[in-house]
Amino acid sequence: MAFFDYDWSLIWDNREALINGLWTALSVAIVALVISVVGGLGLAVLRTAPKPFSWIALVYTNIFRGVPALVSVIWVYFGVALLLGIRFTVFQAGVIALSLLYSAFFAEIFRSALAAVPFGHTEAGWALGMRSPQIFLSVNLPQAVKIALPNIGSMFIGMVKDTSTFTVIGLLEVVRVTQNLVATTFQPFVLYTAAAIIYVIAAFAIDLIFRLIEGAYVRPPLGIVGRLLRARQRQLIHRIIDRTKAGSLTTESVRLPN
Amino acid sequence: MRMNQIMEEAQGSSGGGQAPIVQLRGINKSFDKNQVLFDIDLDVQRGQHVVIFGPSGSGKSTVLRSINLLAKPDSGSLKVGGIEYGPGLPSEVGVTRGAGLALRRKVGMVFQQFNLFPHLCALDNVALPLRKVHHLSKQQAREKAAIALRRVGLIDRAAHYPAELSGGQQQRVAIARALALDPEVMLFDEPTSALDPELVGEVLKTIREVAETGMTMVVVTHELGFAKEVGDLNVFMEDGRIVESGPRGFYENCTSDRAKEFLKAVM
Ligand SMILES: Nc1ncnc2c1ncn2[C@@H]1O[C@H](COP(=O)(O)OP(=O)(O)OP(=O)(O)O)[C@@H](O)[C@H]1O
Ligand SMILES: [Mg+2]
Repeated sequence: MAFFDYDWSLIWDNREALINGLWTALSVAIVALVISVVGGLGLAVLRTAPKPFSWIALVYTNIFRGVPALVSVIWVYFGVALLLGIRFTVFQAGVIALSLLYSAFFAEIFRSALAAVPFGHTEAGWALGMRSPQIFLSVNLPQAVKIALPNIGSMFIGMVKDTSTFTVIGLLEVVRVTQNLVATTFQPFVLYTAAAIIYVIAAFAIDLIFRLIEGAYVRPPLGIVGRLLRARQRQLIHRIIDRTKAGSLTTESVRLPN
Repeated sequence: MRMNQIMEEAQGSSGGGQAPIVQLRGINKSFDKNQVLFDIDLDVQRGQHVVIFGPSGSGKSTVLRSINLLAKPDSGSLKVGGIEYGPGLPSEVGVTRGAGLALRRKVGMVFQQFNLFPHLCALDNVALPLRKVHHLSKQQAREKAAIALRRVGLIDRAAHYPAELSGGQQQRVAIARALALDPEVMLFDEPTSALDPELVGEVLKTIREVAETGMTMVVVTHELGFAKEVGDLNVFMEDGRIVESGPRGFYENCTSDRAKEFLKAVM
């Protein structure tokens, strides 16, 4: 069969269905991303807790990093229904399955990112009289997030790809849509090529978005987004600088409450 | 009377007059099985400038860090600005709560490695603890921070991030950050050791200016020229013990062999 025997126009004709599939995949992945980031951060913090608690986090991380998404979603969708009688929608099952796995990955990412923040910063916070939770939130976490961002971006691309296994529970994501189209058109090569192209484009877009966010997190901020986000604060700061230089701010104008 | 008081302060004696603002009594400290401080006694009078010097590993930093409880003493007692800490006292349970935290908030510290927060500009580095510790609004905290930066001559760099500042400038921001909280005592742990030689001068100048305001200070330094200049009380440490201490002129007049040897080796 020659190249032109394939009906490439099928891609264009079915663009809407394919894009809807991508949209479903992205929705599941984005909701799961939010949950996994929070869950992973929680696990990472738990890792620094005293022994029995840190073990819980360690065991969880090591188990769930090893479970394939396909197995996870079958557990959540069929297993939970069988054992507990809870029936999730396919969307919910997909989100839960991904969140269970990726919380474990994000836990590792955040653990190493937090460990990369010099301990001296924490000590400086203590020496300044700040409380440990304040130091964590305003000193350690912002730095760790910046360190973790590139890895979170890569993980998110993986999450989107892992939604392809959710075809097994009937989630109408890209692969499921493709399978349905193949069943009526008998053009698997063309349609799976289309699916591949969609995943690759999505990966490029995600990468780009995460790079922009990263740029905004670099200090001094890089790129248009970063500078735009900081513009208002910069303006406020420069106003204070000008007033201070003009001598209109004095030691008396701001007093510490006692 | 006035002269006597000055003399007394210079000798770090605790008898008579005002109570010392920092008082260490019989401080012992071990890391695992390794004891690094042995029965440290030290009195710092209000307005006094104390210099601690001695060989590497002698416990200088640990003494400094026990004053603000970054290193909690195993035994002995510690009093800062009237707040006491010691085994058995309520603050021992959680140092960041109650009396321990209150004690720590009377003390400012400047580190060898500056320890500025790299994700915040100079102004916000100074403003952050003002917001968190004293609950100032963002605007108020920044205004107070700006005054502190002007004091160390860095108001023009207020919007710069640590990565955009020289080491000397970073250390001066760190000094401003500690001063902005109006501490009663300032601790300096080798504040110029991480700096290129040409940047040492500006930081020493800033510290000198802080000293001239009458701030109580404890300085660990290898800059003996500077030590001679500011040290009202000079403390020589070795192997976790205070070997000898004395007032101005100590670097010429010390009597112990160990101190003399050390000074001969480093001068
Ligand atoms: N957190 C720690 N854990 C274990 N040992 C420590 C710790 N901090 C200090 N020590 C040990 O305590 C001893 C005294 O250390 P310290 O830092 O107080 O010395 P120092 O006089 O400040 O030395 P330097 O001039 O090198 O800064 C050293 O033997 C050091 O190895
Ligand atoms: Mg030291």
